[in-house]
Amino acid sequence: MSYYVCKGDGIMDYITFALAKGRLADKTMALLEQLGITCDEMKEDSRKLIFTNEEKKFKFFLAKATDVPTYVESGAADIGIVGKDTLLQENRNLYEVLDLGFGKCQFAVAGYAEARALLNRNNDLRVATKYPNIAKEYFYHKKHQTIEIVKLNGSVELAPIVGLSDVIVDIVETGSTLKANGLEVLEYICPVSARMVVNRVSMKLEHERIAQLISGLRSLEELK
Amino acid sequence: MINTKLHTTAGVKDYLPAECALKNEVEAKIKAVFDSYNYKCVITPTFEYIEVYDGMGGVDSKRMYKFLDRDGSILALRPDVTPAIARVAATAYDKTDLPLRFSYVGNAFRYNESYQGKLREFTQAGVELIGVNSIEADAEALIIAINSLLAVGLEDFRVDIANVDFLKGVLEEARLDDELSEAVTDAVVNKNYVEVVKLTEELDITDKLKTLFNDLPLLIGDISVLDTAKTLVNNAKSIDAIEYMRKLYEILEGCGYAKYVSFDLSVTGHFDYYTGIVFRAYARGTGFSVIDGGRYDKLVGNYGEAYPAVGLAVKINDIMSVMKPKEVASADVLVAYTDDGALMALRMADELRKSGKKAELSLLGSDIDKNKAYALKNNIGTMLYINGKECRTMFVRETE
Repeated sequence: MSYYVCKGDGIMDYITFALAKGRLADKTMALLEQLGITCDEMKEDSRKLIFTNEEKKFKFFLAKATDVPTYVESGAADIGIVGKDTLLQENRNLYEVLDLGFGKCQFAVAGYAEARALLNRNNDLRVATKYPNIAKEYFYHKKHQTIEIVKLNGSVELAPIVGLSDVIVDIVETGSTLKANGLEVLEYICPVSARMVVNRVSMKLEHERIAQLISGLRSLEELK
Repeated sequence: MINTKLHTTAGVKDYLPAECALKNEVEAKIKAVFDSYNYKCVITPTFEYIEVYDGMGGVDSKRMYKFLDRDGSILALRPDVTPAIARVAATAYDKTDLPLRFSYVGNAFRYNESYQGKLREFTQAGVELIGVNSIEADAEALIIAINSLLAVGLEDFRVDIANVDFLKGVLEEARLDDELSEAVTDAVVNKNYVEVVKLTEELDITDKLKTLFNDLPLLIGDISVLDTAKTLVNNAKSIDAIEYMRKLYEILEGCGYAKYVSFDLSVTGHFDYYTGIVFRAYARGTGFSVIDGGRYDKLVGNYGEAYPAVGLAVKINDIMSVMKPKEVASADVLVAYTDDGALMALRMADELRKSGKKAELSLLGSDIDKNKAYALKNNIGTMLYINGKECRTMFVRETE
């Protein structure tokens, strides 16, 4: 359970970022670069798993988005950058300190237009989704509707088309995939975007540097 | 199918000797601290009627291990020790006995999330100071928390103090309706500062309060955050809460503990039963708090007389996670013997034990080399070899 190496090894002075692989990570590094936090190692094509900025004492690693909250909650990383969608689904004990504004999309209920009538009926609704917790939270607590959830792992749009479910709960960015298949957004659940999350202990023990980072990021044009 | 007889179920574990030795040592050191403040150790049942725990503002009943008694009553494995001690204080003592100082070490049980490396059976060592609501009582609890961590050898830790009244005052000042007030509280409890800002940015409240909601993640740190916070609020409850924390800090500073203390104004209690100051200790090396505590003036009243109280629980397993397993102490003497020396060997081993030595009887037979090899492997420095009536002492590592 002990993830850190104890003080005295020199490792403790680093602040470690866990970044969700892909666009989110690239955009985050671009923001950090404006604050003077760079990591040249990361730009090189290498097989390294952890990248270090020795001068400013930062470390970075890339992880699958759904794993980022796990790394940060346990303290393996001090700070994580991950989509709100993942945070909602994972529901971990973290400090959610900043909305970074990029990676914007919406959680929505989607399906054929005819399915709209079903959304106001109190039973029998079958919902296919990659995000059972979010679907449950929305239908049970906001709409007070009992539903049956079908958990899928990808291509959720297929479910209403082949008759597996009445509607889907999924992330919608432009809606073009839905449209191309004759589906549409029936209800919006909530907007999501990239968030900066902080481990609870790091928030206390490294507060000065983390507060500086938060204030720095807040002052950037992109976040205003 | 897994072969269930070979495995432990999720969230429970075996403590093998090295880890067990560490656990015993940590517990003993912390108990010694509790003792030095004259807290009397009590033991409450491992399981009780669920009503002792349910609806008290503590652990949600969904997270309790529940089962039925023969008469149909619902029982629960204790998810937390404090409610049971509150019950004891309210039922076994009266006003003339106050203040009561109790300590405990025991296991608690909760259905924690799967696959997150969290234990479902874990050990807590704690104290409860019942019957007094004063700043000195709160200071005593905090100082015990600090000294418990120092006693087990931790140095890089922080005890984070908050006062639940601060946020209550802020929400009253903002005049939020019940629904919104609950939503903001939830967001603050879940440390979702992004949500706090979203909920409050459109409200008709003072700019200062907006800044406060905006800056919650920055209002963490040394005593100076109290000054900053004071300039942002305009209500008696929050200001009193700040002044109380400042006085508490002065006491801690006067006693030389200032460097271990920090503040986090956004903290509300991790349990609803907290009423005044709440605190959590964080140590370098673990992502979880190692001590949780606070004032709970309403809890004891659920069981009878309403006595104010303050207490804390040290999370033994989380403390152990930042420490190295101990080397298990080896025997001082290995007593080996030939067949006709058995009785004498047993008697000598007993004598050695009475004189305070840890003596292990060799059960390996009379082969000297075999016994020597065993002693060497198990780090036993001395061997006693009894051949009939003759006794020889050998130093196993004399060649080194």
